[in-house]
Amino acid sequence: MNESRIDFRDQISRNKTKSVILIFAIFLVMVLLGYVISYAFEPGYFFGIMILSIIISISYILISYYNSDKIALLSVGAKEVRHEGEYKQYYDLVHGLTLASGIKMPKLYVMKSNQINAFASGRNPEHAVICVTEGALKKLDKKELEGVLAHELGHIGNYDIRYMTLVAVMVGMISIISEIFLRSLWMKGNNSDDNKGNAIFMMIGILLAVLAPIVVYFVQLAISRKREFSADATAVQFTRYPPGLIGALKKIRDENQPEKKVNKAVAPLFFANPFAKELGSTHPPIEKRIQVLEKM
Amino acid sequence: MVLEWVIVGIVAFAVLVFLYFFNRFAVLGNRIDNSLSQIDVQLKRRADLIPNLIESVKGYVKHEKSVIKEVTDARKALVSAGNIEAKVKANDKLESALKTIFALAENYPDLKANTNFLELQRELATTEDKIAYSRQYYNDSILAYNDLCKTAPGIFFAKLYGKKPREYLHIAESERKNIEVKF
Repeated sequence: MNESRIDFRDQISRNKTKSVILIFAIFLVMVLLGYVISYAFEPGYFFGIMILSIIISISYILISYYNSDKIALLSVGAKEVRHEGEYKQYYDLVHGLTLASGIKMPKLYVMKSNQINAFASGRNPEHAVICVTEGALKKLDKKELEGVLAHELGHIGNYDIRYMTLVAVMVGMISIISEIFLRSLWMKGNNSDDNKGNAIFMMIGILLAVLAPIVVYFVQLAISRKREFSADATAVQFTRYPPGLIGALKKIRDENQPEKKVNKAVAPLFFANPFAKELGSTHPPIEKRIQVLEKM
Repeated sequence: MVLEWVIVGIVAFAVLVFLYFFNRFAVLGNRIDNSLSQIDVQLKRRADLIPNLIESVKGYVKHEKSVIKEVTDARKALVSAGNIEAKVKANDKLESALKTIFALAENYPDLKANTNFLELQRELATTEDKIAYSRQYYNDSILAYNDLCKTAPGIFFAKLYGKKPREYLHIAESERKNIEVKF
């Protein structure tokens, strides 16, 4: 018990440190992209473009830091729910779990999807949201749903949400920016090839644009695996009832169909991989998670 | 000169350590008090639901006056209990009396079909879950506090600040005996 508590605190500080490192890394990558872009297009306006790219990256980081949860919710089209009516059980379960964990009541959302899934987001436990799919509310029984919600509250308490959402949103943006850069390079390449310097920077630009999302994707892949296990453990610490979570995982394994509408960038936020059995999964295998839980 | 700075550094560090432990005790102590008041909130919510339940049940189960009396008595004990432990004990009595009522309800199809009754039954189960969770958190908070009091280096500061390990919420098993349902 005591050790798990220390672990808990270690993970929180690790997550905070990693968030800071991530923000700096993103800043550097963006400024570097600006540098490459300015060389590739207009060497004459180098300083102007560089200053602009610094301003853009700082405002981008600030905006995504304070709105990461909203961006994530927006990308899946979630809507907020109140505790009356059909979502009463959902509300009551989360409320009970906040009593068990001492975490502040998060805002609750529901997204349209027949799949059993959920995610948590926000920059800290005071500004946290939980979102579940309609499928999860429909298909899971009370104890299973509680297990899933406890897992998400675990992510909130461990400060996973800050780091994971920042990764998702910032990485998502990098891939978009790289895409735009890549596309405009193609257009430019069609009507002019003036000098060799430009061509080299174009090559670097393309390389960076291709590499950036892949590199961060792999970073992401390496972290979310451990996080899911520790959130499962935290969930059990809250509910003291592993069979609920195990039941939910089994239903996901047996019933979930791939959900194509979810953006690739926010996929790692989810309780289970939205793309189901795809290769290169961002989530640990469900079987492994069930095995670990059964030993608790 | 260097020596003076070293001394200043050591003193500053010592002050920080003293402050850190003072705050740890304060934070963990507050957490215990707060979780205790959470239990209280849920118990009150539960007590408030009982009169409605009795109201909806009364018309149907005319021949089981004793069970209804048991529930109202347990509620009275819960409301009038002075400290949290007495309240939790009264709630456990209430819970077992309620189980009897819900078991009896099985014999009354009309009552079982009453939406108001069903809603209350669900609500009471929800508050019971929440009470269990707040009790769990209360005991968890005490564990964290006591760990700090009993392990080094916290143990030295506990002595210094006069902090003593706190008592868990103990509910004797004998009081949670199974209920018999007589028909």
